[in-house]
Amino acid sequence: MSEQAAPREFGWTMPRGWWTRRWHYFWYIVREFTSLPLALWLLWLLVEIRRAQDGPQGYHPHGSLGFVVFSVVVLLFALYHSYTFLTLAGAILHFNLADRPVSSRLIVLSQFALWAAASVVVGFVLIYFARS
Amino acid sequence: MSEHAHTRKLALAHLFWWFMFAQGGVLAAILIPVHVLIQGILGPLGVVPVVDRHYDTWVNVLGNPLVKLYLLVLIAFPFFHFAHRLRYLLVDLGVPAARSLPAQIVFYGGAVAVTLVTIYILLTTVPISFG
Repeated sequence: MSEQAAPREFGWTMPRGWWTRRWHYFWYIVREFTSLPLALWLLWLLVEIRRAQDGPQGYHPHGSLGFVVFSVVVLLFALYHSYTFLTLAGAILHFNLADRPVSSRLIVLSQFALWAAASVVVGFVLIYFARS
Repeated sequence: MSEHAHTRKLALAHLFWWFMFAQGGVLAAILIPVHVLIQGILGPLGVVPVVDRHYDTWVNVLGNPLVKLYLLVLIAFPFFHFAHRLRYLLVDLGVPAARSLPAQIVFYGGAVAVTLVTIYILLTTVPISFG
């Protein structure tokens, strides 16, 4: 048997702009992109924490209209991330309860319930401790 | 190093990064929207009083060790999720270099750097207070 040639590498690259060809692809890229605005907002929160060392006279929390508009945009991306990520739980998590498989619909509902409960608790803390 | 030990080490590394990716995604999904809504929109607009709008209330909560731990989890974990997603976003958009080892070091190293900076800021900005 003759020596076989080394396998050639097949260098597949996606066509430029592939993600604009279908809405499904577009929203997939949007889902991946949500990380960027969320990361920027968390870095802002870190700055806000650091500003506490400026003392009572020097502390000025962000409150400009530009910041509010930025936060509105970030909130839209955050909600999209939450919806897509928590919906995925139904496809990822599989377990039994009393020897019966838990339906994916119930798993997704539990994730959204957890999201709602956490939002209420965090929201309450953020507002309640502003009064003390 | 034997092949078995090397494979096991790789598996443990994958386990760690996938754990951080998954937990970061869950935490970002469950916790970030309410922070953005209240601290980024409703508070600055004056719709509701928010803890970070005034120095005294902000410092009071920042001194609490549980709040420091919560903020560390809130900020640090999602960055491991973001690092992975943004790296693959570049791959999907036709930047094959994003698969390279240097790119991995930049993105995941960035997440580690954010974690370390967050720990430093939380420990040095307001002293821990149990009161």
